[in-house]
Amino acid sequence: MAEFKPRQKNSASKTISPKHFYDEESWKTPTSIQRAWFASGCTTLLISVAKSLIMISSRSTGLRSWIDPVVAAIVGYVLGDLGTGIYHWAIDNYGTARTPVFGSQIEGFLRHHDHPSAITKRHIATNLYVGAAGFTIAVFPMNIFCTNPNLLAFAAAFLGCGMFCQQLHAWSHTTKGKLPRLVVALQDSRVILPRAEHAAHHHPPFDSHYCIVSGVWNRFLDKYKIFWAMEMIFFFIFGVRPRSWSDFNSK
Amino acid sequence: MASISLHTSQTLPSLLHAKTPKATLCQNLSLLSKSSHSQFHGLKLSNVTHLSVPSHSYARTSILAKVSEGSLAPPFTLKDQDGKTVSLSKFKGKPVVVYFYPADETPGCTKQACAFRDSYEKFKKAGAEVVGISGDDAASHKQFASKYKLPFTLLSDEGNKVRKEWGVPSDLFGALPGRQTYVLDQNGVCRMVYNNQFQPEKHIDETLKFLKSI
Repeated sequence: MAEFKPRQKNSASKTISPKHFYDEESWKTPTSIQRAWFASGCTTLLISVAKSLIMISSRSTGLRSWIDPVVAAIVGYVLGDLGTGIYHWAIDNYGTARTPVFGSQIEGFLRHHDHPSAITKRHIATNLYVGAAGFTIAVFPMNIFCTNPNLLAFAAAFLGCGMFCQQLHAWSHTTKGKLPRLVVALQDSRVILPRAEHAAHHHPPFDSHYCIVSGVWNRFLDKYKIFWAMEMIFFFIFGVRPRSWSDFNSK
Repeated sequence: MASISLHTSQTLPSLLHAKTPKATLCQNLSLLSKSSHSQFHGLKLSNVTHLSVPSHSYARTSILAKVSEGSLAPPFTLKDQDGKTVSLSKFKGKPVVVYFYPADETPGCTKQACAFRDSYEKFKKAGAEVVGISGDDAASHKQFASKYKLPFTLLSDEGNKVRKEWGVPSDLFGALPGRQTYVLDQNGVCRMVYNNQFQPEKHIDETLKFLKSI
């Protein structure tokens, strides 16, 4: 029987650029642009919350007016976890550092498999500015034009998960002693990604536990082999193998 | 001889069928519901009406022939991993486990092949031979067999003709070639059919269990 040999590097290392990716000093000190995008993302989120509250209170016809947006936000949070899983799966398995638009993210995610704790050294703005930029671009127009508090609450929660998931991810790699008590409490209650939940992703072939907001979808997706089915379909339709198969076959 | 009664269910039309992993998707719309419904997590296929083939024509093959329990498996001649021509008739005289799998070097198929490899001695002890069939070419099979040291025959069903002839159902609305295993007796009659796309090792357990029971 082929023996399983644990490998830290995955096959993606062959596809990513050889340039030195790490510059820890720059990670600790974000650039002005990174700070600006992070700030704009947070501000946009606060505006979304404020506008939702204003809309609800101005139209309030009872408790239902308050419950519906809260439910919408919870649905957004739950689906946000699923969204991060799908995005994470796609980035981990397809494309290379040279892929347009996504190349640098792909490179970052794959380097992360080689050096999982490096993410804990990044300043929050460095970690989140890309997600924050996307959040600002997507949600700012909604803050102006959206008149439905439920829709705004859902979008803010769903896309907010996308914005903050990298920080939740970083916290899941951080030792317990270095985390604020509130973060630990939220992890232990599985409101945000628990450390053990994400650790299950970090061994070859990196083919499970892709969700990184709370990880609530991981059990379902892995038990019913949803990603495996999608990989097989992609393979038979497009002839493209996911990277996790290379790592599987190299066991 | 004990027999396990397995049935197949008549369901939605088979919509899509991928030719090969590298080929473009070939859509094959069938208005007549002929293919059996496979279930991802195996278990048994539920009951079906067979095609309207008279019982005396079991030996007859047709494009729409489907192998099910009690039917004579249609003959085939395919190339193995060494490029040699192998016929089903070669295995007459002993039970043979014929397993159809989606493709070489995919996780499920690798797990399945390795599981057959690891239990190969048990199959031999039961007097049975194991044959794997997929749409990959002989070169792919050669590499696959060599890499994982597979002791049994892999046959190249390029164009998936035998797969269609035997009626192996596709999964996910035809997007995925099905994973189905047949146990044929020494006369080439099918005695067991097992389908399970996402639990490939179960094919080994189920077929061994059946072989031990007969």
